[in-house]
Amino acid sequence: MTNVLLRYTNLVLATLFVLSLLSFILAYLFPGQPIENLTGLRLDELAEHQNSELKYAVDANIFVQYWHYMGELFAGNWGVSFSSGLPLIEDVSHYLPASIELSAYALFLSFFIGLPLGFLAALRHHKLTDYSLLSISLLGYSIPVFWLALILILFFSLQLGWFPLSGRISLLFEIPRATGFILIDILLSDSIDKTAAFTSALRHLILPTLSIAVVTTTLIIRITRRSVIKTLNSEFILAAYARGLTPRQVLMRHGVRNALIPILPLLAMQFPTLLTNAMIVESIFSWPGIGNWLIQAIYQQDYPAIRAGMLAVSTLVVIFTMSIDLTIRLTDPRRRRAERATT
Amino acid sequence: MNILEKHNIKHWVQTALILLASICLCACDGLLLSKTDPNGIVYCSEGSPANFNPQLDTSGTTVDASSHQIYDRLIDFDPITGDFVPALATSWLISNDGKTYTFQLRRKVSFHDTQTFTPTRFFNADDVLFSIDRWRLMTHPFHHISGGRYPYTDSLKLGDLITKVTRLNGYRVEITLNKPESSFLANLATDFAVILSAEYADKLISRNQKELIDHKPVGTGPYQLASFRQDRYIRYTKHPKYWRNIELTDKLIFDITPSSSLRLAKLITAECDAIALPAHSELEVIKQQDELVLDEKPGLNIGFWAFNTSKAPFNNPEVRRALGMAIDKNALIEAIYFNSAIVAKNIVPPTSWAFQSDVRPLSYNPIAAKKLLREQGIPENFSMTVWAMPVQRAYNPNATKMAELIQAYLQKVGIQVNIISYEWSTFRERLSQGIHDSVLIGWSADNGDPDNFYRPLLSCAAIESGTNRAMWCSQEYDLLINKALQYTDISERTYFYGQANELLAEQLPLIPIAHASRYQAHRKELQGLVINPYGGVRFGGVKKIQ
Amino acid sequence: MPQPSLYQEEHYPSPLQYTWMEFKKNHIAVAGLFCFAFFLIITIFCPLLAPFDPNMQQIGDLLIPPSWYPNGGISHLFGTDALGRDLLSRIIYGCRTTFGISLWLVIVAMFLGVGLGALAGMSKGFRSSFINHTLDSIQAIPTLLIAIIIIAILGTGLVNSMWAIALALIPQFVHQTRDFIRHELSKEYIMAAKLDGASKTHIFVHSILPNMGEMLVVQGTLALSVSILDISALGFLKLGAQAPSSELGAMLLEGIEVAYIAPWTIAIPGGALFIMIISINLVGDGLRSALRNRLLH
Repeated sequence: MTNVLLRYTNLVLATLFVLSLLSFILAYLFPGQPIENLTGLRLDELAEHQNSELKYAVDANIFVQYWHYMGELFAGNWGVSFSSGLPLIEDVSHYLPASIELSAYALFLSFFIGLPLGFLAALRHHKLTDYSLLSISLLGYSIPVFWLALILILFFSLQLGWFPLSGRISLLFEIPRATGFILIDILLSDSIDKTAAFTSALRHLILPTLSIAVVTTTLIIRITRRSVIKTLNSEFILAAYARGLTPRQVLMRHGVRNALIPILPLLAMQFPTLLTNAMIVESIFSWPGIGNWLIQAIYQQDYPAIRAGMLAVSTLVVIFTMSIDLTIRLTDPRRRRAERATT
Repeated sequence: MNILEKHNIKHWVQTALILLASICLCACDGLLLSKTDPNGIVYCSEGSPANFNPQLDTSGTTVDASSHQIYDRLIDFDPITGDFVPALATSWLISNDGKTYTFQLRRKVSFHDTQTFTPTRFFNADDVLFSIDRWRLMTHPFHHISGGRYPYTDSLKLGDLITKVTRLNGYRVEITLNKPESSFLANLATDFAVILSAEYADKLISRNQKELIDHKPVGTGPYQLASFRQDRYIRYTKHPKYWRNIELTDKLIFDITPSSSLRLAKLITAECDAIALPAHSELEVIKQQDELVLDEKPGLNIGFWAFNTSKAPFNNPEVRRALGMAIDKNALIEAIYFNSAIVAKNIVPPTSWAFQSDVRPLSYNPIAAKKLLREQGIPENFSMTVWAMPVQRAYNPNATKMAELIQAYLQKVGIQVNIISYEWSTFRERLSQGIHDSVLIGWSADNGDPDNFYRPLLSCAAIESGTNRAMWCSQEYDLLINKALQYTDISERTYFYGQANELLAEQLPLIPIAHASRYQAHRKELQGLVINPYGGVRFGGVKKIQ
Repeated sequence: MPQPSLYQEEHYPSPLQYTWMEFKKNHIAVAGLFCFAFFLIITIFCPLLAPFDPNMQQIGDLLIPPSWYPNGGISHLFGTDALGRDLLSRIIYGCRTTFGISLWLVIVAMFLGVGLGALAGMSKGFRSSFINHTLDSIQAIPTLLIAIIIIAILGTGLVNSMWAIALALIPQFVHQTRDFIRHELSKEYIMAAKLDGASKTHIFVHSILPNMGEMLVVQGTLALSVSILDISALGFLKLGAQAPSSELGAMLLEGIEVAYIAPWTIAIPGGALFIMIISINLVGDGLRSALRNRLLH
């Protein structure tokens, strides 16, 4: 147990080190002066600052520079954006929660729809239900997410006028920022009409969540279906029947648990895909998320912003996937001697 | 797996699904029915302002976001008749020699009370002095804040024109010019001649935060800035002590939406109450929708294709002429403006008295153009850049598309075109550096005086101030347009502008393309929004009926 | 010339034939295969098939609806876009750009990926462990995200996005190859070869590589659909192919401008993309289940 924990902490630290190094090297790979790309300040502004420490860092060799860079990173000083001149840490902490929120709701929605449908398809294996669910899921994961989003907008927003098509909430509501997650912030705030604000936020959430959730849902249906079929064909299920349990008992006591455990990591691994899709969908729905922000930064060649954004997103993804991996490792005895542990 | 089927598992799953679906439906139903947003107006604008001081920026985006919302001017144009009407000055007097202007100022006008500043006094002569001296005097403590470039006033050399600005008493100001200039009053009524707070400036000096003056602005206008997030929104709140007795809503929001189709979509879904610059291709759609209103006015503007005349081979007028002959303006107007514009002959539109219809025309003739290009030593497959501005403007609703069309036209005369576009503020910054070969851009007038076209667009001084995109400097031209200003009689001025028109038609530093009509679309619930022919949008007096 | 069969011998199909027989049973997958072939033909012969030059602008014919609309014309089957370009021709060339480039990228990524994977799979110790750890971290990150990172460094444009996607696809192949080799190495026939004194290279080239074909085809179809999605998504985000190019994602982006008045400018490119990906996924799914069925027998 401690051993596994230690191993993972090591792995996470090593990966984070590589990522931070990469983000540092990015400043050298991007066009322009590395120091400009690291701080977001132009050379003449830097000269104005007369920051002696900074000057020392510029003149020093690359290892010292990296050391300084890490120091600043941990001190929360990520530099400023070329285009807006705002501190990057503020921007990132403003936009990242919006993306996480969107992805998280989409993930929950996919679980909610995908798991039952996956079970249904497996229970009706080689029946019409199974085939139609499979075909629908094939359509679902073949559809380009940006096209789906556009079609949803054309139909639900412009034709029917049901849902708004941009932003997180009507701008007329001014929600004080506490956590960055809009629904929680609304519940926490007390100056506004909560019901109206909550409804507005939900209406804004529906279309983007739906467009992202479609792909993930279909993947979850397929993964669940395969796992359940495999589980139900195992010997221990037969053994359970032999012991005289009813099919319902068999499914509830043995089927569900054993089918779910191996796929949970696979399902959780959908999160990065979801986040990527969210980044695309954000730019269609003008969702104030990290993807939208990062893509704008690329257009504007805002190198400090790209560097900080990349670091934040990749750190998030790495920490997320690794912690899922760890949870599974700690809870599932079958994976104790998995491949990585033996190498 | 068959074992499971005779039993209730599938029913159980199905019931769960039906339950889930019905919960969703109920929730959606509730969501669809309730649309109770707080009181306020949302305007979908096309871009982020560079700052909140129109003295510093001639871009329409900055003007829209600041000029008529946050500030007032000494005098205003009446949006319908175009006459001067009192604003912060209640009356004014011009001396007989045309050199001294005396303004009587309005009393009991309050400045905004913001998070950073609480005014202790009303507006008075000090504020006028501060506002004018800031751009006029190089030695002024605020002159170099935010870049120190004042494109509008610099390009007109207003700083040199004014010899002194004197405070006669708390509510009386005198401005003395070194020579009479017929367009002076018009310039004071433009969007750029806003009045800032001198008291706020003093506060900022004592706090050593001078740069905040243009980013956390304080003015006397109907709305005060509450917050701004780049590329997202600008929030304003009502100025509770506004001096004009007009209708104001609690909140005014600029929802920054660069894509014109998205703006229209948001107007249809009622996420915006009004939108900036509806795309010309979508005007028909707006007209067909019952709940939308489309206003139209002939625009005082010009969309053009300017050559960087400081660069070879574009310093050669014949090359510029050949390129001009290679494009079909009529086709461009059909494709880009959907016939809501007229072909431009001069740089001023036909509604201006300086317009001249008999000037040497430039007709579409690719064969002659090709011949001329070869004669001037431009080889086959010569490559040049066309910079296309990334934002829509009334004078050019889709510069990228126009650039693509020009690309196709120039290919026919053996010229390869690379289309260049950056984000708007970067675009203008690099344009001022003069690294472009040619650019598709334009100009909207800020007052009815033709000088507002001739001087900012092509005078030598305008190269430095960054509005002369052709980088063209001609002593002869400068002489003509300066002479035109010394007279007040229109027929005399027309003569000089006629000469300038001839010179431009011969030299072609830029190819005038179109004068477009101005459009504004809003929802029926919004009342009182009119097109301001002389510049930015105004929300004072606009209200939303529920 | 068929050999006369003298004995009453049972015919044993080769594994490949067996897979094909299984595949043929799945009619939908076969339809997908035909669709796939159709796109392949379009990609190869597109200049012959397209009625117009995809970049030819006819200013008189702006936004003509497709021929099945009441006011559509017959000369432009799919109508025209906002610059008066024939949409059918643009779609045909767009298929070439999107599909052709993706195919090419997958092949390149496959070669490099298999090479690296072989290196990782056949070796032990530090080198292998290093590659494995790096791979495991990278594998969790979606290709599009990696591609966006690479584009952020290289700058936008079609060529850069090609680099980015090819680089982003490689880890999957490395991973699959490595796992496959690991798996095979523990089998008895490899042990036999080892006992015969075969070198590592020999084992890889003669024993493992021939068995990898099917795995690579399945992985290749997966990568192809990912690559098509990515290249069009990058085009759509204005990070990949730029405006005048007839890449399907970029076309979709151009269509948004007029989506409300001319919905076909987004319906048709998006639909083409959709059908393309479905056909590839159908083929991939069909192959995978055919392989599974073969192994079950």
